Amino acid sequence: MNKLRQAIDRSLGWLLVVLMGAAVLNVLWQVFTRWVLKDPSSYTEELARYLLIWIGLLGAAYGVGQKLHLAIDILPTALSGRKQRALNIVIQIAVAAFSFAVMVVGGMRLVWLTLRFDQVSAALGIPLGYVYSALPLSGVLIVFYAACMIADERAVATPPGQAAEPNDGA
Amino acid sequence: MAIVEVLILVVCFIVTLAMGVPIAFAIGISGVVTLLVSMDFMPAVTTVAQRMATGLDSFAILAIPFFILAGQLMNRGGIARRLIDLAKSMVGVLPGGLAHVNIMAAMLFGSISGSSVAAASAVGGVMIPRMDEAGYDRGFGAAVNITSATTGLVIPPSNILIVYSLASGGVSIAALFLAGYLPGMLMGLSLMVVSGFIAVRKKYPREKRLRPAEIVRNFVDALPSLFMLLVVIGGIVAGYFTATEASAVAVAYALVLALFYREINISDLPDILLETSKTTAIVMLLIATSMGLSWVMALENIPQNVSAGLIGLAENPIVILLIINVLLLAVGTFMDMTPAVLIFTPIFLPIVQDLGMDPVHFGIMMVVNLCVGLCTPPVGSVLFVGCALAGIPITRVIRPLLPLFAAMIVSLMIVTYVPELSLWLPRLFGF
Repeated sequence: MNKLRQAIDRSLGWLLVVLMGAAVLNVLWQVFTRWVLKDPSSYTEELARYLLIWIGLLGAAYGVGQKLHLAIDILPTALSGRKQRALNIVIQIAVAAFSFAVMVVGGMRLVWLTLRFDQVSAALGIPLGYVYSALPLSGVLIVFYAACMIADERAVATPPGQAAEPNDGA
Repeated sequence: MAIVEVLILVVCFIVTLAMGVPIAFAIGISGVVTLLVSMDFMPAVTTVAQRMATGLDSFAILAIPFFILAGQLMNRGGIARRLIDLAKSMVGVLPGGLAHVNIMAAMLFGSISGSSVAAASAVGGVMIPRMDEAGYDRGFGAAVNITSATTGLVIPPSNILIVYSLASGGVSIAALFLAGYLPGMLMGLSLMVVSGFIAVRKKYPREKRLRPAEIVRNFVDALPSLFMLLVVIGGIVAGYFTATEASAVAVAYALVLALFYREINISDLPDILLETSKTTAIVMLLIATSMGLSWVMALENIPQNVSAGLIGLAENPIVILLIINVLLLAVGTFMDMTPAVLIFTPIFLPIVQDLGMDPVHFGIMMVVNLCVGLCTPPVGSVLFVGCALAGIPITRVIRPLLPLFAAMIVSLMIVTYVPELSLWLPRLFGF
């Protein structure tokens, strides 16, 4: 599981770097075509918006894996030992439940609906379902990362071959 | 009954936040749970999913990662040192010169990098050791660095104003940027006045007067960095670029400058892009789930209910603005700026617009207000960075922070009750 997690971390990181670089070049191209070529590109704005959806949602998953998202951590830091680990597990379950229900289930239904009604984007002509597929993809990754972190907490609680630490504060 | 939904939303939000669920998820969870009261599961989750995606489907928001990226390039590109030297030429000879240099450099750097945390670490990293050497109290130095770092959030270009433009339903970014100048300078000035008084009382030294040639050299050194501001803000205000295009130009400019100064290599770029993606990820998920929540709030008429409650409490506009400011100050102590703007703009903006307040003015007031919260415990990102940088516990910085807080609150009151301070410049340019 750890190997898989590292592989996903690295691929997500590189994907974000590429998407972010592409977004910058794309908007610079828009400026260039308008001010230098005097022939404004018709698709750059739409491409920029779709790149942002992918950067935002995949970045969100990456952020869960790297524990970047802002939280008010007064309670978790005030607790210690078993209680703290239990709370951390509950937090990850809440994150995973939201991501599964909204991003995976809701997102898949959204993808399915837009594909079924053949909605395509105005300038590029790509099916909107493909754009929205960032939602379920990101949702699955967040659930995966949350599961990893729950596993981490449990691994600390019961190190292999021995019971929970004796002076486990509680 | 709307009141049931309001109650569920508020309780759900407070419980998840207090538990330590990441704020972006706490927002999303509260939205979905509230929606489930009046909707079946499938349509509810599909709607929130759709709001998340369409919330990010905006060309304007793309300016946020680009300004973050430009800031990253500037941070590594040796800009901070040049701006500090420039600030020294401008205000070093005042009593407590180094404190003023810190404030002035933070205003310059914060506006270029668009991040108060980056300003606190880049400027403070240089200035706190220098103040130490010159015999300044470490707590005072840290307090000056922390509070002044927030001024860059008000002085354009400013990502938080772009977030506000989004949350307010499309207030002009160019108008907001112009509106930020004078209030941001007022904040910096009020911090300098208070620091000056403290410096005189504690007999902190002045910096030695620089020779004219040195002043000219410092100014010329900083010119390429300042020129970027002219391109970005000038381009947006004159209508040559949208904010997003200007931010992409800023990235290209900052990259060329940093390569020219030989502070970074092309091979550093993936690393810089990844750092940018990390900061971006936090903001984007907040925007996505907030867009879901604000849709739910509109559906349940929550802004109207809060408005009715507030107006029942007081009818005098001055008192209502005071109440809103106190509420926002309280919110700011435990919540970061971006989520606070995203959540409370849709609630408070309709109220103040009923009172005849300009949405541009309200945006500036809100950001100035929330700047205070970034420097206060229990949750204050700039406070944490500033203390870590100075190597002192938060308790040691609280006392020196108090007079500087007073300066910020006075600035906030002036910004709140003198609309012209925010609106004069945008009106001058025809917004």
